[in-house]
Amino acid sequence: MKKYISFVLLAAAAALAAAPAAAQFKPTKPIEIIVHTGPGGGADVLARFISSLVDKEKLAPVRMQVTNKPGGGGLTAMNFVVEKKGDAHAIAIFTGNWMTNPLTQAEAKVTVKDMTPVVRLVLEPAVIAVKSDAPFKTMKDFVDAAIKNPGQMKQSGGSITSRDNVVRQLIMKNTGANWVFISFPGGGERIAALLGGHVNMMVIEPQEAGEHIRAGNMRVLAQVAEKRLAGFPNVPTLKEAGFDVPNVPQVRGVLAPPGMPADAVAYYEDLFAKITQTASWKKYLEDNQFEDGFLKSAELAKFMDEFTERMRGILKEAGAKVVR
Amino acid sequence: MDILSGLLQGFAVALAPLNLWWCFVGVFLGTVVGVLPGLGPAATIAMLLPLTFQMNPTTALIMLCGIYYGAKYGGSTTAILLNVPGESASVVTCLDGYQMARKGRGGAALGIAAIASFIAGTFGVVALMLVAPPLAKFALSFSSPEYFALMCLGLAMVVLLAGQSMVKALLAMLVGLWIASMGTDLFTARSRFTFGYSEMLDGIDFVVVAIGIFALGEVLGNMETREGEKMLPVPKGLRNLLPTLAELKACRFAFLNGSVIGFLIGVLPGAGSTIASFISYGIEKAVSKHPEKFGTGVPEGVAAPEGANNSETGGALVPLLTLGIPGSGTTAILLAALILWGLKPGPLMIHDNPDLFWGLVASMYVGNVMLLVLNLPLIPLFAQILKLPVYVLYPVIFGISIVGVYSVSGSLFDTWMLAVFGLLGYLMTKLDYPSAPLILGFVLGDSMERALRQSLMMSQGELSILVSRPISAIMLSLAALILLLPLFRKANAWRVKAIVENG
Repeated sequence: MKKYISFVLLAAAAALAAAPAAAQFKPTKPIEIIVHTGPGGGADVLARFISSLVDKEKLAPVRMQVTNKPGGGGLTAMNFVVEKKGDAHAIAIFTGNWMTNPLTQAEAKVTVKDMTPVVRLVLEPAVIAVKSDAPFKTMKDFVDAAIKNPGQMKQSGGSITSRDNVVRQLIMKNTGANWVFISFPGGGERIAALLGGHVNMMVIEPQEAGEHIRAGNMRVLAQVAEKRLAGFPNVPTLKEAGFDVPNVPQVRGVLAPPGMPADAVAYYEDLFAKITQTASWKKYLEDNQFEDGFLKSAELAKFMDEFTERMRGILKEAGAKVVR
Repeated sequence: MDILSGLLQGFAVALAPLNLWWCFVGVFLGTVVGVLPGLGPAATIAMLLPLTFQMNPTTALIMLCGIYYGAKYGGSTTAILLNVPGESASVVTCLDGYQMARKGRGGAALGIAAIASFIAGTFGVVALMLVAPPLAKFALSFSSPEYFALMCLGLAMVVLLAGQSMVKALLAMLVGLWIASMGTDLFTARSRFTFGYSEMLDGIDFVVVAIGIFALGEVLGNMETREGEKMLPVPKGLRNLLPTLAELKACRFAFLNGSVIGFLIGVLPGAGSTIASFISYGIEKAVSKHPEKFGTGVPEGVAAPEGANNSETGGALVPLLTLGIPGSGTTAILLAALILWGLKPGPLMIHDNPDLFWGLVASMYVGNVMLLVLNLPLIPLFAQILKLPVYVLYPVIFGISIVGVYSVSGSLFDTWMLAVFGLLGYLMTKLDYPSAPLILGFVLGDSMERALRQSLMMSQGELSILVSRPISAIMLSLAALILLLPLFRKANAWRVKAIVENG
């Protein structure tokens, strides 16, 4: 009898121990990482890096596979993610565009609010650069020049919804200055326009600017970052330079299809927490001069709401037609 | 002297067995990718990128660049044999190449394409080696007004591409410009002509339009005329598959023209190989003694664009290697690759890594020879495709077209668009509208609109910016001259007629 009781107790104990394990999600087939660019795009490079890192460090029992869903300015990938509702073996790399683009695109049938937030991974800071023979030594010099000659100063950048333009809008609003924003589709063309002296200023990724500075072609006036970047210890951030504007980093992170169960979200939160602890990841951030932007699901949801709200206001001020 | 010692050092790198092997792998893969429509060098390089992490960066760059210029060689194959442009740059090759194939000179056209590619490819490398740094500075002086003028010059080529009716050519060009305006407007983030489809927000891919109008349009048109079991003539014997001496002689100027134009346009970060091939084709036709024969299968019409799109590769590497500025999708991925390998692409890269630069240059000489040796023997083999009876050949073209378009972005929507453009191509053939002006308008429209708007933003709305800058003024005058040329000719014809009647 005693033996029997202890057996029951043992079984109960085992069951208790097993209970959380049973609810614990574990991937059983390859995990799909959806990206909105073709091979070679920023999100694709990040996804492939994550996939090889997980493989190399054996952080997951299964492989990760990159699925490219380019097109529609990101909407094709977003639709694809939403169609995967309930699939716990699919995640997606998102960028700020995923929140910004649907604001101006009436064609968008889904937004990031339809998806499950997982983690925020990196913040990509930027620097404000001018040609090395430009008369401006500080950001204030440039802004003063723009105030004195309204509409004469020019900045090269990407789309009107890009971070380049957001930084401009914020500084213009803060100072009353006014300068022109000229869109170029390719990063190369933006740099060529600056180095050729056809525009006066641009917002550029620090890593990209680094070599032009070393060659003496460019000078950096300020940085768009929370803290001074390791590569630019002597350049003030916009706040330090006296511009009271919120920091606008380029953001990348991970979302999942709608209705992902809480245990699966927890699994991915944990997986990415482990990824961001590896030495390879830290080197990746350092090489690219990215900032660690790790946030878990609940905080990411809050961040996305704030980000979308701020972008809505900025786009309206920039004269874009906001549809939602 | 510096160049010579650099080159010697480069050959020492490029001829190392390992580098030689990977160079071969690169150009071979490039040829394969080029032959397959849809899948382009940019996507291939990106997919192979992870494999190169374990390699020495020089070796990896040699291989990836091999894919880049190798694809330009392969792109002409399906253009000539099947009227299916394998890469966007080979769309111009279709015009005369496919007509040559229809006349039984398919093998010759392939041979000329390979030779033109070799000559121009080598020219591109020589130029890259000799004039890269000064030319890169020149490229920087090009800005939006100059690009606008360049695009106008390209668009003026429409008078050279027109067939019987100028009105029809201009209409086709306008449709091309309209299609180019579809998608999201960069300047305002508003969508244009998307008809509510999110798939249309990025506009329509070039491959979809080109394959639809050229390949499907042609097949549908031919099916209707019921050529029946009649096959295209494929002469027997190796000699008939290779270009004749007379054909090669006719191409002398085209080889040079293609090489120079391709390289110069390649250097400009905002242009591209499709524009280069259109312009060199236009120049070839403008200076030709028999411009009326263009479009009916003349060898110069194959040599010029094929040359241009190959030397463009050498040109496109100039801003990438000397300034760290990528000019095209493929060079942008190469830039990303350089960063991933821990190199610092930028103005100092050649100085910091002479082995890398000179090794690459030397490997491109070697690679071009490999490509010629690889491609010439394949010609008789590829030419056999034309021996297929039409009831096999046409479905094969359909299949290749659909797979090619689907492989661009894996979207079924694109295959539906392919059907739309196939029908458009068919209607155009049926109503005798030339298709080349439509493609021309489509290729140039987007960049032209952008350049104009950028220029006007720079000048705060002053149109004078377009003519007050010398380079832009010269190109605009040239464009005007080309546009007015047919009128002069007509006036002259009237004058001559009047003299004859009076006299």
